[in-house]
Amino acid sequence: MSAPTADPTDGAKVASSGDDVVLTVADVSVSFGGIRALDQVSLTARAGGVTGLIGPNGAGKTTMFNVITGLERPTHGRVRLGDADLSGMAPHRRARLGMARTFQRLEVFGSLSVRDNILTGAEFHRSWSRHADDPASVTDEILDRVGLRAVADLRVDAIPTGMARLVELGRALATRPRLLLLDEPGSGLDENESEELGRLLVELGHAGMAVLLVEHDVDLVMRISRQVFVLDFGRVIASGSSSEVQANPVVRAAYLGTQPANDLDDRTVADRGDA
Amino acid sequence: MSEFLTYTVIGLVTGCIYALTASGLVVTYMTTGILNFGHGAVSMVAAFAYWQLTVQWHVPVLVALVLVILIGAPVFGALLERLLMRPLQGKPVELQVVVTVGLLIFLLGLANLAWSPAASATRTLPRFFSGHSLKLASVFIDYHSIVVVIVAVAVAVGLRFFFSISRTGVAMRAVVDNPGLAAMTGARPYRIAQFSWALGAALAALGGVLLAPLQGALNIDLLTLTVILAIVPAVIGRLRSLPLTVAGGLVIGLAVTYAVGYLPPNSFVAKAQTALPMVILFVALVLLRQERLRSGRVTGMNIARAPSLSRSLVAAGVFIAAAIVVSELLSGVNLGTATRGVVLGIAFLSLVLLTGYAGQVSLGQMTFVGTGAYAMAHLGHHGSPVGALAAMVVSGALGAVVAIFAVRLRGLYLALSTLAFAYAMDYIFFDQHFGPYGSGLSVDRLHVPGLGTTSDKGFFVLGAVIFAVAGVGLLALRRGRYGRRLAALNDSPQACATLGVNIAYTKLAVFTASAALAGLAGALYGGQQHLVTSADFQTFNSLVLLLLVLLGGKSLVSGALATAVLYALFPILQQHVPSLSNIQYVLVGLGALTLGRNPDGLGGQITRLRDLMADRSGRTTPSLTSGGDRLVGADR
Repeated sequence: MSAPTADPTDGAKVASSGDDVVLTVADVSVSFGGIRALDQVSLTARAGGVTGLIGPNGAGKTTMFNVITGLERPTHGRVRLGDADLSGMAPHRRARLGMARTFQRLEVFGSLSVRDNILTGAEFHRSWSRHADDPASVTDEILDRVGLRAVADLRVDAIPTGMARLVELGRALATRPRLLLLDEPGSGLDENESEELGRLLVELGHAGMAVLLVEHDVDLVMRISRQVFVLDFGRVIASGSSSEVQANPVVRAAYLGTQPANDLDDRTVADRGDA
Repeated sequence: MSEFLTYTVIGLVTGCIYALTASGLVVTYMTTGILNFGHGAVSMVAAFAYWQLTVQWHVPVLVALVLVILIGAPVFGALLERLLMRPLQGKPVELQVVVTVGLLIFLLGLANLAWSPAASATRTLPRFFSGHSLKLASVFIDYHSIVVVIVAVAVAVGLRFFFSISRTGVAMRAVVDNPGLAAMTGARPYRIAQFSWALGAALAALGGVLLAPLQGALNIDLLTLTVILAIVPAVIGRLRSLPLTVAGGLVIGLAVTYAVGYLPPNSFVAKAQTALPMVILFVALVLLRQERLRSGRVTGMNIARAPSLSRSLVAAGVFIAAAIVVSELLSGVNLGTATRGVVLGIAFLSLVLLTGYAGQVSLGQMTFVGTGAYAMAHLGHHGSPVGALAAMVVSGALGAVVAIFAVRLRGLYLALSTLAFAYAMDYIFFDQHFGPYGSGLSVDRLHVPGLGTTSDKGFFVLGAVIFAVAGVGLLALRRGRYGRRLAALNDSPQACATLGVNIAYTKLAVFTASAALAGLAGALYGGQQHLVTSADFQTFNSLVLLLLVLLGGKSLVSGALATAVLYALFPILQQHVPSLSNIQYVLVGLGALTLGRNPDGLGGQITRLRDLMADRSGRTTPSLTSGGDRLVGADR
């Protein structure tokens, strides 16, 4: 199979391969000293759209990301990117195969400016990829794309958390990934900004990228995901399209609780305020 | 057989003291995350204080014990926590290391002032129940040794119960696991931290008082160094487990004693046996399970804005011109001091690169300076540039070898591995290859044909030029792609890894480059001194070096120069005003102690002031519409 082009500026090229499975997680378990953080989880993410991964706090979403990116070693199971088996592979080698992520607890380069954070990502890409474009022009394009032009010259440890999340997103995009893993990119954003983010993610999907999105703002996830996986206590309790998942009684019981949908909305907004 | 038993008993007694003092280190580390490099100095001061009370002032033994171990030390520990350590919570590891190193140097200086080493032979502490002994099998064991063993066992058992039963002990364990959560459930982390410092200091004092009588005459350095070795069992216990720490202490005690007893005297191994604990430390660190890359810390080093190329070139030009003027004004000893300052400045720059830019800590930088001098001595006859080149290659290669083992370690563990390496090199290499008993190795001056560098003046200017070139080079690097890469590595290694960066390789490269630069400094330093001894490159000097670089502002080229000149002045000051010799260490120690509250050092303060003034006069900060919390507002 031909690898989907990840260049978000070039949608036409990818449209044909839009449904390829980019990420395959098969039967992954992780234990921390007797506690199962992930229990035989399987999921896939396809090129050409957003895949949502939701679940209450402690369900194992970030652990899943750590396993996929190689920061955490699974006790059991496999992860594949396209045709490549990633088992035992170091994080940087996985990244070079075309994956990039953001972090729930921010991992920005705090002593660099917004521009330099993204530039550094592009330069890293250039240092290991022969197909990388000029880092400066990549940076310019991304600054506009994620809407950080106005703060480009500020140090990242001096900007609000929500914006820092966008910096991480921009930095990840600078490596032109096939698979983009986003860990709560919407927390710390106001309603307009989060809408903007949703639009951007859909756009990235249309451009051929596979986006795996972990997000507390369930509304956002349901709106933009083609497929949603629901984790609870380290297990996938449901998966399917947004409407299927929303209608699933197991999900309503375990994750959404017995509250009516309106209450749920209130709660996610409150959560965001806390973060 | 009886010989073996004797060694075993001595080894166990020594081991008990290691176990005691190491337990103190672990207790403090596990509740506060700070490894106290000044622990040995606390033991030493306690032993001297106890001597002062009992022998000089004839205070009854029991009263003196209570005063020193149960009152003096705990109060001192609690004060330390309140004044120095609290602001260090969550700060970069090099700061935490350097502040406690500052404590070590401060206490050493103070002790040298209070108890002049000149009279050290007259200061002896009697053993407990002196003259009494017990015959066990064929071995005589004196009562003091029995006291040591009983106390050690009592402390080990006591700590075990304390942590499993008492409310405070359980709370301390909770704080280890999750300070935030523990605070929510009613534990008071600061109180607990304070208590753990008090307990740690008391255990250090106890160890010191028990150890001193076994060492004969009280010796400031020997006492301090012995207890510093307690780091080894503490690391074997992975800075967490008290039982493993105690076991580690016993193993070290036995290993050292058997080595002394059974290795042929005068052999290389026998000379090197002093390094044994540190070799064990290195191995233990390397074998230690690799820490997971943990995410969740938002940092931005406070790094000064790097001046533009034109500005740094102008500054370099001014500096060289000034050096030429100075070379005409100064002569003799003063010119020598200035030269030493400038060439040591190059060694300081090597730490600006490693610690200031890349955030990696080396506690053994002087070792690479020393191997540079060694290479120059052997390959730089008549000042051949080949020697200087060899100095860079040899030191760089050595740096790479250390890094190969050390790069998978992070933070404190990385720092400790460089310490272990440097300490081992003191005995294995420097004491043996710098003339008999480290008496000296003569080094020729680097000679660049046509520049008249054979004269004192010429050599000084040459040193200044090399410093200027290195400084301009570092600043250029800082502004460029590689500088961003190092800053990124410092701020978030895990983000780097997930962006495709091979962190280990990047760290290896910067370690190698830094060691090579230190080697060049060593070649020049050797030439300046003509005769270098092992004392020039001892681990202690590496600690002072790191401390001064941080004081000067770890990412500042100018700060490195200023503190290097200060360092070069030490011996001169000492010569003119002998009483200054210790005060300068007291002052340097004090300076380091302030770093907890003022992490950017003096140089950082000055540049911040400058930036602030630049900001006032014109530039405005763009305002942000979507307010929200800042990431590390408080830190900047």
